[in-house]
Amino acid sequence: MNDLLSALAARPLLCDGAMGTQLLANGLHAGECGMLWNTEYPEIVSGVHEAYRRAGCNLVTTNTFEGSSFALARHGLDGRMAELNRAGAQNARQIAGDSGWVLGDIGPFGDFLEPLGDMTAEQLHTIYCAQAQALLEGGADALLVETMSDPAEVEVAVAAAKESGSLPIVTTYAFQKNGDTEFRTMMGTSVEEAMGRAIAAGAHIVGANCGTGLSFADYLELARQMVRLAGKTPVILQPNAGSPQMVGEKTVYCATPEEMAALVPALLQAGVRIIGGCCGTSPAHLAAMSCRL
Amino acid sequence: MLMNTFQELTDAVEKGNRKEAARLTQVLLDAGTAPLEIVESALVPAMSNVGEKFKNNQVFVPEMLIAARAMKEAMAIIQPLLTAAGIVPKYTAVIGTVQGDLHDIGKNLVAMMLKGANFNVIDVGINVPPEKFIAAARENNAQLVGLSALLTTTMPAMKTIVDAMRAAGLNNVKIMIGGAPITQQFANEIGADGYSPDAASAVDLAHKLVAA
Repeated sequence: MNDLLSALAARPLLCDGAMGTQLLANGLHAGECGMLWNTEYPEIVSGVHEAYRRAGCNLVTTNTFEGSSFALARHGLDGRMAELNRAGAQNARQIAGDSGWVLGDIGPFGDFLEPLGDMTAEQLHTIYCAQAQALLEGGADALLVETMSDPAEVEVAVAAAKESGSLPIVTTYAFQKNGDTEFRTMMGTSVEEAMGRAIAAGAHIVGANCGTGLSFADYLELARQMVRLAGKTPVILQPNAGSPQMVGEKTVYCATPEEMAALVPALLQAGVRIIGGCCGTSPAHLAAMSCRL
Repeated sequence: MLMNTFQELTDAVEKGNRKEAARLTQVLLDAGTAPLEIVESALVPAMSNVGEKFKNNQVFVPEMLIAARAMKEAMAIIQPLLTAAGIVPKYTAVIGTVQGDLHDIGKNLVAMMLKGANFNVIDVGINVPPEKFIAAARENNAQLVGLSALLTTTMPAMKTIVDAMRAAGLNNVKIMIGGAPITQQFANEIGADGYSPDAASAVDLAHKLVAA
């Protein structure tokens, strides 16, 4: 823990970019479970990690976003939860080396907690504990609870990460624009509540990733708000590469690596300590961003 | 007296008070109110109010979900009566998440809000191939098909479905699309009839499309 946090105190770090689109570019079909590739094509998954490391990323994120047994059940793979998470962490650990960190990725379970949905906090705690444990067994240095909308789910995930012994714990939310300078998650959670509850739950690094309809100016404003509200807790931001557009038969993100790189100095000035990329980003984006860090 | 009860039921649903919604529905039925009138004059307005507040960023997904749950509680009492009387909703919508995409929260929210507006909603689920949308639209004489996608990588599947539906001759069925990465421009590009940015606006769009 002291390792990553003390490094972060000394200098800003670069996290990696998107995994899913890289796997699709390597032949994964839409709708297939990308996590299955952790064991079926580990060399491809490791290849993506390696490309990000070469781009200058200090932190690599395991290919385990949909790795809770609840999310894997959609693919009928819940029985292989521990194996696929462990393999995902091993693939990343092997590439990260001594100077890089592995973030064990935990995404939203994919439904609502009680009373809105049927999942109880206790059930979800058990589910997240099992995933967290498998990620740490595979060699994750820290856990990343990401793309969250519901602070109650964050609290459950962070508690599970803590119980599994993860240090530190990183938490990111997906925000959407709710007014000129107001951002909220899909669940209506304000930036203040989102940061406050993640920190109170025990997250060591907090921030945002992904998001809907956010321009680079929005990301920068969001960054300023998060830094102000997070106090001493370091802030992470992983923006999308702009908004997606259809070109011919393919969907492409419009922001070029240079455009994303141009955002980096402003984010650093705003006080963001870990910068990475989300949807639409590639090793080329991260390489360009690395030059500006 | 009864007018007050209608209003109370609307309020109860809007606030997501399930027990009260069920109780007031029963009160209205016991007083001889026609089941359809309860739907149209109390339940639909409640969901419409919630939708309006949602669009104005006054309430968010949780409030929409609990209101829909309260309406569902009321409908559990009313639906058997409607069915027995052979009363069916005026419009039918088929809704699903496109092939290659396994996300369902957005799709479920739209389905819920369409039900709240008294559409007959056929939910064909996630990872749905074009044939299944076409078959469901035909079997149910749907006026509307709703396509959902969360992943940018599955957006092209929307175009495939639109093309397949047109090729199958379902030219009178309106197609609306939505999902985080979707834009109006994308809807225009693929020849969909409409796009809505959120579940509440989807109801407005649905009304507009079926009336056209």
